[in-house]
Amino acid sequence: MTLLAVTRLELRRLFVRPLGWIIGALALAELGWRFALLLQFFLMNQVQLASIPDGPGYTDIVIMPLLSSIALPFALAELALLIVPLLTMSSLASERAAGTLGLLYASGLSATRIFIGKYLAVLVWLALWLALALAIPVSMAQGAHLDWGKLAAATLGTFLTLAVLAAIGLACSAFSQHPAASAALALIVSVTLYCVNLGAQHAGVDSGFINWLAMSTHQDNMMRGLVSSVDVSWFLLAIAVALALGIHRLASDKERG
Amino acid sequence: MNAPKPASPPVLKLEGVSRQRAGRPAVHQLNLTLEAGQVLGLLGINGAGKSTTLAMIAGALLPDEGTIELQGKDFQEYPEQAGQVLGWLPESAPTWPELTVREHLDAHGRLRGLKGADLKRAGDAVLARLELNDLQRRLAGVLSQGQRQRLGLACALLHRPALLVLDEPANALDPVQVVALRGLLREVAAAGTAVILSTHQLGEVTAVCDRVAILHEGTLRYDQPLHANGHTALEKTFFDIALAGRMQPA
Repeated sequence: MTLLAVTRLELRRLFVRPLGWIIGALALAELGWRFALLLQFFLMNQVQLASIPDGPGYTDIVIMPLLSSIALPFALAELALLIVPLLTMSSLASERAAGTLGLLYASGLSATRIFIGKYLAVLVWLALWLALALAIPVSMAQGAHLDWGKLAAATLGTFLTLAVLAAIGLACSAFSQHPAASAALALIVSVTLYCVNLGAQHAGVDSGFINWLAMSTHQDNMMRGLVSSVDVSWFLLAIAVALALGIHRLASDKERG
Repeated sequence: MNAPKPASPPVLKLEGVSRQRAGRPAVHQLNLTLEAGQVLGLLGINGAGKSTTLAMIAGALLPDEGTIELQGKDFQEYPEQAGQVLGWLPESAPTWPELTVREHLDAHGRLRGLKGADLKRAGDAVLARLELNDLQRRLAGVLSQGQRQRLGLACALLHRPALLVLDEPANALDPVQVVALRGLLREVAAAGTAVILSTHQLGEVTAVCDRVAILHEGTLRYDQPLHANGHTALEKTFFDIALAGRMQPA
């Protein structure tokens, strides 16, 4: 299946480029340091926390803040706002600049297959990165009580967030002539979508279109262990819109030349 | 009584193909047919529309008007089949700099449906034929332009295409490699592959082609078989066409 051939080619390119390894390793190092801080806080307050009925446990104090900025800035989701644009910037913009995009077209691939193939490759990379990040706190499962249900919901929410960011990053790469422009555009779009409701929240507004539009609204629900069809639908809709825009722009390359 | 065997369609057929670039016609109403085993030299000065024509044949650009058929099938309707039929070496032989020579061949093969032992066999064959065996683990990003050109050619030949589309294939090749390229083109043509070769070198055309087409300002001005003593005549025809606009009195 040629779509998987594109995925395989893109994965190979992701894994042999030093950029992917460097940003992945730096992000994991930051998450490791963050984990150490959160674990220290948990251990220092373990006795007090245990005395609170239905009080927060290891999952709430250590794992959730590792994935999303609940207590400290720069959790996995916030790092992804920077990492995903860097990861996707070369996917299409540099192929266009180097002339290799034409080679993919000449092999009979449609814009949809090229785009989806590359998207799947980025998703695989991000899934591995998420798995490695989760391995840090989950490695303590023997000695701590984990809320697996909450962890599953948070993992799903984080993965869907990464999937939206990857779709946005690839779409921006399809719209850009240069990788740096693609990364900048993807960063701006992603950050805007992530916290477009910040003003509304400061004004005390917790509902309405602006809150629905913000990615953090839907991610936060999942971080609390709530998986609702409304939130999942929002993520799928955002992915579909970004993919459709990217595919449309890529298909127009053959018309524009 | 045996029914007459239907004639097989031409490998390549362009009908009324036009394409605008930057608001001006890059290719205008181009009609061209290429049979199996033919080697067509496509000549023209810079900006004549050669690369645009080849990119449209390869499927990297869509024509504004007209149809392109590969083995009797419109390549826009059957893009995957077109990918199997065609091998393309674009000008400057683009590569993925972070992949090795072997990885390029694997990627191109998989994109065209080759896998497993077939892919390895095909890769080994083109590596040997283009003398790239020693370079197979080298990254494309560190290859010389001539080596990249040979890699591009290897990728184009990997799946034994029925139509080979080459845009300036002798670019950056040394004289020995140019002679080897000519031998290779004669070999693939003898095996039934149709070749369309764009070049600025008239000598290249007279050495390997059996037909010549000259594009000028996007239109086909000449399309004739190449005669045995054709170099001088071809040179005169080419310059007559290329300089026609400039020689006209104001």
